[in-house]
Amino acid sequence: MKKKIGSTLVVGSGISGIRSALDMAEQGYQVTLIDKEPHLGGVLTQLDYQFPTDHCGMCKMLPLVERDSSSQYCLRKGLFHENIDIMLSTELVAMEGEPGKFQVTLRQKSSIVDQERCIGCGECARVCPVEAPDPFNGGLTDRKAIYLPVPHNIPNAYVVDLDACTHCGECEKICPTHAIDFGKEERKKFRILVVDDELIVRDSLKEWLLDEGFDVDMAESGTEALEKMSKEHFHLKLLDIKMPGMDGVEVLKRAKEIRPDLPVVMMTAYATVETAVEAMKIGAHDYLMKPFDPDNLIPLIVNLYHDIQSAGVKEMEVGSVILAGGFDSYDPSTGKDTYGYGLFPNVVTSLQFERMVSGTGPNQGKILRPSDGKEVKKIAWFQCVGSRDQQADADFCSSACCMFAIKEALLAKEKSEGQIDTTIFYMDMRTFGKDFQRYRDRAEKESGVHFERSRVHSVETTGKDDGTLRVAYADTTGTKHEEDFDLVVLAAGQRPPTGAEEVAETCGVVLNPWGFCQVEGFSLSRTSSEGVLVGGSFSGLRDISESVIQASSASLEASRLIHSKGGGLAEEVSPETGFRDVSREMPQVLAVLCKCGGTLSESADFDEISSWLEAQGSVTGVHAIDSLCTHEGWDELKETLQGNSANRILIASCMPYVYARKLRELGRSAELNPELMEVVDIRTLAFPGRDTEKEAVHQEVRAVLSMGIGKLKGMDPLPVATSRIVQKALVVGGGIAGMTAGLAIADHGFEVTLVEKAAELGGNARTLHRTIEGHSPQELLEESISKVEKHPLIRTHTGAKIIYSQGHVGNFSTSIEKEDGQGETLDHGVTVLATGGIEAKTESYSYGESEAILTQHDLEEKLAEGGVEPANLKTVAMIQCVDSREEPRNYCSRICCQSALKNALFFKKQNPETDIYIFYRDMMSYGFMETYYSEARKAGVIFVPYDVGQKPEVSVEDGRPRLSALDPILGREWLLEPDLLVLSTGVVPDAGREVAEQFGVEVNQDGFYQEAESKWRPVDFIKEGVFMCGLAHSPRSIAESVAMAEAAAQRALRILNSDRLASGSVVAEVRHSLCALCERCVAFCPYEARHHDEDEEMIVVNELMCQGCGSCAAVCPNSASVLRGYRDQQVFEVIDAALENVV
Amino acid sequence: MAKTAKIDVKEQNLLTALRGFFKALLEDGDMEALLVPQHLPMKNVVMPTLVTDPEKSNTADPLAPVFPMNAAKMVSRLTRRPVGGRIAVVLRPCEIKAFIELVKLKQGSMDEVILVSMDCYGTYGNVDYTRFAGDDGADASLRFYENVVSGKGTAWEDIDISPACKACEHPVSESADLQIGMLGVDTKDHLLLKAMTGAGEDLLEKLGLPEGEEPEGRKKAIEDLVSDRVAYRDKMFEETSEATSDLNKLTAYLGNCVNCYNCRVACPVCYCKECVFVTDVFDHEPSQYLKWAKRKGLIKMPTDTVFYHMTRLAHMSTACIGCGQCSNACPNDIPVMEIFRTIASYTQRAFDYEAGRSLEEEPPLSVFKESEYSEVTGGKD
Repeated sequence: MKKKIGSTLVVGSGISGIRSALDMAEQGYQVTLIDKEPHLGGVLTQLDYQFPTDHCGMCKMLPLVERDSSSQYCLRKGLFHENIDIMLSTELVAMEGEPGKFQVTLRQKSSIVDQERCIGCGECARVCPVEAPDPFNGGLTDRKAIYLPVPHNIPNAYVVDLDACTHCGECEKICPTHAIDFGKEERKKFRILVVDDELIVRDSLKEWLLDEGFDVDMAESGTEALEKMSKEHFHLKLLDIKMPGMDGVEVLKRAKEIRPDLPVVMMTAYATVETAVEAMKIGAHDYLMKPFDPDNLIPLIVNLYHDIQSAGVKEMEVGSVILAGGFDSYDPSTGKDTYGYGLFPNVVTSLQFERMVSGTGPNQGKILRPSDGKEVKKIAWFQCVGSRDQQADADFCSSACCMFAIKEALLAKEKSEGQIDTTIFYMDMRTFGKDFQRYRDRAEKESGVHFERSRVHSVETTGKDDGTLRVAYADTTGTKHEEDFDLVVLAAGQRPPTGAEEVAETCGVVLNPWGFCQVEGFSLSRTSSEGVLVGGSFSGLRDISESVIQASSASLEASRLIHSKGGGLAEEVSPETGFRDVSREMPQVLAVLCKCGGTLSESADFDEISSWLEAQGSVTGVHAIDSLCTHEGWDELKETLQGNSANRILIASCMPYVYARKLRELGRSAELNPELMEVVDIRTLAFPGRDTEKEAVHQEVRAVLSMGIGKLKGMDPLPVATSRIVQKALVVGGGIAGMTAGLAIADHGFEVTLVEKAAELGGNARTLHRTIEGHSPQELLEESISKVEKHPLIRTHTGAKIIYSQGHVGNFSTSIEKEDGQGETLDHGVTVLATGGIEAKTESYSYGESEAILTQHDLEEKLAEGGVEPANLKTVAMIQCVDSREEPRNYCSRICCQSALKNALFFKKQNPETDIYIFYRDMMSYGFMETYYSEARKAGVIFVPYDVGQKPEVSVEDGRPRLSALDPILGREWLLEPDLLVLSTGVVPDAGREVAEQFGVEVNQDGFYQEAESKWRPVDFIKEGVFMCGLAHSPRSIAESVAMAEAAAQRALRILNSDRLASGSVVAEVRHSLCALCERCVAFCPYEARHHDEDEEMIVVNELMCQGCGSCAAVCPNSASVLRGYRDQQVFEVIDAALENVV
Repeated sequence: MAKTAKIDVKEQNLLTALRGFFKALLEDGDMEALLVPQHLPMKNVVMPTLVTDPEKSNTADPLAPVFPMNAAKMVSRLTRRPVGGRIAVVLRPCEIKAFIELVKLKQGSMDEVILVSMDCYGTYGNVDYTRFAGDDGADASLRFYENVVSGKGTAWEDIDISPACKACEHPVSESADLQIGMLGVDTKDHLLLKAMTGAGEDLLEKLGLPEGEEPEGRKKAIEDLVSDRVAYRDKMFEETSEATSDLNKLTAYLGNCVNCYNCRVACPVCYCKECVFVTDVFDHEPSQYLKWAKRKGLIKMPTDTVFYHMTRLAHMSTACIGCGQCSNACPNDIPVMEIFRTIASYTQRAFDYEAGRSLEEEPPLSVFKESEYSEVTGGKD
């Protein structure tokens, strides 16, 4: 295990929170990961299918090296990592101190249910009388007040929704493991002081509260209250605002002086609500509105009680804080135009639709109309609901909706085998990400998804009262249509997460005008508060891969900060204990049976099972424990193991997944390799209510026990192999991305060699002079170059090229040829490829025939040189998507629309009289870029859409360009003779396939580097140890390149961080004497962890890269390739055991 | 495209003409060696021989209706690593197909070999051939050929060519460098020699043989033969499917197997150094046998028989080229070839693959397609 070098707090456990937490944990930091929800995973728990693969893939974020430190199963089911503490239902309530040394206060709400004791049997929900809409299914179904937050968690414990709960106590009575506790006994000790000048209020409150079991005292004035407070101890004070003499606010102020920690709840009539809000600011816990109705008031007070009494408060010191609060979805019913949402049941949001197609959704994945349960035949998607809508206070694009609408349409097609008719109504289809355009084209051309460019006018019923919806819209020519649909899906936009303001205030970070976290200049993760970073959608409007990149950028910055402060918050770790060497002993199995708190005794006889176990060969002991999941139970197991000679442990309980982490602990305390411990699930088999004969249950239990014994007998774990790491990095490409990555790695204390083919550092940024936001790339460039040149750990070779590279993660060797022609061979543990991109050349639109025809890049340079005088320009035309978004360059270059907007706005500012025309296909002003699009329209820039089949035509006469184009909206032709015609030609990769081949990595069909997985591993190559960033991955802005470079550095650091890296305990090996060198396993290995060493004539496994998937063992015909822990003999034995008791 | 020459027969007999050609391969074709079936001096059997002295190819007999083993395995031995010179190998079409599979499995290389194929009329089993050949193998070969050409067929007394040959739809190799054609050719006058590849053409050039032409009737002659064989094959598939349609029938089908593993040794594409069934994986604990026996009250010894054949089917049926050496090697007359070819017809069709057809086709298990077999995986990929 690595030594802990600091700690960090990650707020929010969605995708980006998990990414940041894993990043930090893999680097060796101690991480506390909190979420205000009672489950991990954020919104992703509700989304089963991710584009472009249309399945999940979240697990690909799990560690690939040092795999044994973390869980290795479905990440939607749960997560553990030995360096991550997960606290759910927890919020950050206070933060003090300084960067590198923050004191944070966390508050964890009670879930009423003891999460350790709950066995998820569901009895409580069965008896719960309260039905409430289930937010997991977007309110399409109901759940009980005691419920499972998500259906698929492991372990999956119930929680109580206190807002819905009536505190009837039925669940508490029925719970077989006594996991539910509403604290009725504790209430007697909970003293409430009621302060009100009106006797009737005091009396009725007292009566109600006594009924609920609380201890109540009263005061009729502020003075009396303060007097009582100084003498006696109270737990809660209910305080009236309007009282004669000293008013409530004054009492509050004084009370805070005497007893600052006493929660005070203000009582207020409507007239004094504002005062109550004021009171909150000076420390009131909450306020209650008069007049009181006991049915409403009592649950509120009980909730307060739970809030105050059962909430756990934890204070801790952390080096940095990463905010990853995600986003909330816009609620269309709050908008000016609701499109019938909330009124017509067949109008749903995109999130609700995701639930409708999910197997755990309302109809198990069948797409049925909410109104009548009939099969859906026709669906419409409306884009930009609550986005790009200034009336909804959303002058931004939510960035992700276009792609998920396409994905949802494709899912609808797939689930219905093409039968459902799908139409997407949109303004611009924003397919600006890598490979998005081809996905869209496939949806349109291959799957028949219909795209209609139109903002829908209205949604009405057909009058037939069958739930069918009539959609009225006008097409691009202005022709009006009415069309009937079974279902309308609203692409509800993103909003800042609930509680964003409080968190921002707590952490001292600034929010942007829309309530998302404001980030700094060229960083996507640095906030206005040093040491507080932001990851994912909380900084605004991102899809999964961008969130993942940015989350890693945040963790890099967090780590850099902790590192710069010396990482002084190291947590002590006991030195690794060695395991007993049992390799020469005969297998001796100790079987431990968990009785699950006695719940299983009805259906299974533990004595009988115990004696059967004792009679089994290798079993040397049997021990039954009442409840293994409790602390007491676990301690009992540990004690049993003390001095026990058993060298294999079989635990028969429940949910084997959950034990992985516990077994590692147990292994340490018992000095026994956890690989020699096996957990089998007997609870599912023996759980009451299966309506199965006892003997049949026994038979099944015996089978799983035998299987466990069979597996254990054959285990012969080896010490986990470690590989030496060359703790140096090679960065190829000296542009902004390469320099950023190099600096990030060097700042952590590792040597970096930076190789740039040009004579100077800087790459593309050398020619960029302003961003649309008004930042200066030149400043960033100068600063970066200066830092690189001064950095003692960075060696730079300009004018140099790569000759040859070989090796694998941790040990690469690369030869370069330097400017002077000299060769040098570099040893390095990781490689970052940041070889950049360049503006695409074009021959379209008469480029080259007139000096007035420029590319955006040409224009940028001319403007910088003063070669264009805006005052003299009467007409400027720009054409977007030149040679782009159609084969062979069928991708969006993402940055051209902002270049066009930037330059158009610049011209308009310099000379408002200039007519500017932008001919576009879809304006890709994603995210907050949308405001500039709005601004440009306001400034009078004319945007003319064109269709790819009917492009503008350009000719040159007397050196002047002439442009003609059809305006589909006006239905007439534009004829322009612009002074300048600017072509947006997009970006192509610079290095080409050659560099990729040298490093043994892949490029996609457009020549950009091919990432291991577009969403979950966006900066990794399949080949471990090589990472990518910047334009060589895909077109992106400077800030996005910086974020990606930081993410790549982060991924690199997790390898560089220690001088040896451990592989997993389950890895493949080769029995060379049996191997015929057919290389099937080499071709089959999805991790490129095997190669044929021609000199040694053997197949070699790289244990670091091997992920233990077993494909090689499956494809090898004579088991020359074997997976440790899954040898044939062992598996045969398990199969035999499974069949042994089959009659 | 293909360059065509002829090997004159005229006054000599077929074998003499062929021997002359083989000698020329060594002398004029710049071949380091020749792998060709020959009658061995000490006994009247035909075995592949590796010849470097042109004078020692004088008992070569590729016409003998026998191939005691699939010589692809020999070519694999010669080419697993660089051998240091070019070798011409004279093979039957099924041997060439097997060799192509072995090359894909990295068990051989095409780099230093020239594949010379002969049209194949089928072969007798090893034991039958000895009887048929009597004392004069060369004469027997000619007799066999004359019977076939004259329409008398392949049968002699109670002997006939093996079921594998009767079901073989590839009597002519399309993958050799040089094809020696007899079907539809006036072999009294000449044999057809056709270069199928660039290497074949180069060699043809060097040999300086008279130009020839593919006779018109050849295509039809091949088609007729293939169509008879396909009919036989399909009937065999049907009967074998029926005979093995459930586990009980399959067990009965393999009932007299003694786990000698001869079929696996004889199989040209079974390339493992050591079959998993003879490794420690199947070296069960003695007590295990007792356990198994107790479960059912009786088990057949040796165990793992059906398991063995099913495993071999799983591993190798996609590479099965149908040569029938498995049946040839079986001491207990189990119709191994029949079941292998039947299953292979399904597995190869499932992957749109034909074993031995082309080096360009990747073996199915080396190729991963996300969208494959959704009906089996239940998912979309």
